[in-house]
Amino acid sequence: MPTKRELARETVATYASFLVDGANEAGGQQCAVDVRNQLANILRISRSNLDLATALTEESAYTPEQKGEIVRNVFVDANPVLKEVLAVMAERGDYALLSRVWASYTEQLEKKLNVTVVDVTTVVPLDDALREQIINKTKADLGTDVVLNEKIDKSIIGGIVMSANGRRIDASVASQLEHARNVLKES
Amino acid sequence: MMKKRAKKASARIGVLAGAAGAVAAFPTLAFAEQAEAEASSGISVILPHMVEFIPMLVAFIVLAIILWKFGWPMFEGMLVKREQTIKNDLEKAERDRIESERVLSDYKRQLDDAKNQAAQIVADAKQTGEGVRADLAAKAKVESAAMIEKAHATIEADKKTAVAELQASVADTAVAVASRIIGQDLSDDEHRAIIARYVSEAGSFNAN
Repeated sequence: MPTKRELARETVATYASFLVDGANEAGGQQCAVDVRNQLANILRISRSNLDLATALTEESAYTPEQKGEIVRNVFVDANPVLKEVLAVMAERGDYALLSRVWASYTEQLEKKLNVTVVDVTTVVPLDDALREQIINKTKADLGTDVVLNEKIDKSIIGGIVMSANGRRIDASVASQLEHARNVLKES
Repeated sequence: MMKKRAKKASARIGVLAGAAGAVAAFPTLAFAEQAEAEASSGISVILPHMVEFIPMLVAFIVLAIILWKFGWPMFEGMLVKREQTIKNDLEKAERDRIESERVLSDYKRQLDDAKNQAAQIVADAKQTGEGVRADLAAKAKVESAAMIEKAHATIEADKKTAVAELQASVADTAVAVASRIIGQDLSDDEHRAIIARYVSEAGSFNAN
């Protein structure tokens, strides 16, 4: 008899698999990557908005139908497949599994579509030459196709920060200056 | 010696008593003799008349016997008693002198003992004082050394703290200046050049 933890893992994998397949059928690899990015944004919003998180996770707050309606209305601009999956999760009381669904989605994206999304943070927009250089490097490291998810963040001062599948390469000027500051303080 | 002088004194007293007794017993004869002496002359002047001499002698003998029988023992008893008293007084004085000398000796000894004890007390007090002074000096020396060491440690710690704070301040300032220079003075192309260099020099995902 499967344990509760195993059941939850299977549930998470099922949601993630349905999302990957649905996004891929709807728009191919790029659509799957877009869904991945939208899912990351929704996860961040859910974590920062306590009222929304309470409404969607507390059992006594709203009825399942009301929770599904809330999701559809709040994330109205999201990918339709993603929106429907989130609504079903809310109706079934599984919305608290969202962070695990996102992690599983990333894994299955890599397994099923042989693609890894690399989050790239810089202070200036990348040009094509840089994108090609980054893609070639990450391809060589990860052994899969790579899709870049570019972000601009002035706080890193310069350089680049790359992360994929929970691993991170911090080649930013901010981190190097911080390292230099620590060296100066300890010397 | 005392007895000889007592006998001489008693003899003189006997003669005087005999003469006094004769004068008292025969006053008429005395006056008659005086009148007869005035009338006679020659050796008979100095020779006693038997008529007078014998009663005087008898009276003298009687008086001497009485004195020897009653007066002398009483007088001798007084002398003996006096002698005994003087002897006792002398012995008592001698004993007192010996006692006083003994007491004086005791006093001197006690005084010497007291002086010795006082000297010993003073010496002990002096030694104790010197010991206490030495202890205090040693303690003060140790405490002062500890205070100096603590002060040195505090100064060293403050110095290290100040140096660390200065280093941190310098580091913060240097980083702030570098951040401003890089963030504001670099163009987009220069940023991209840095990115390209960092990407080529960055480690692998597999290495993390």
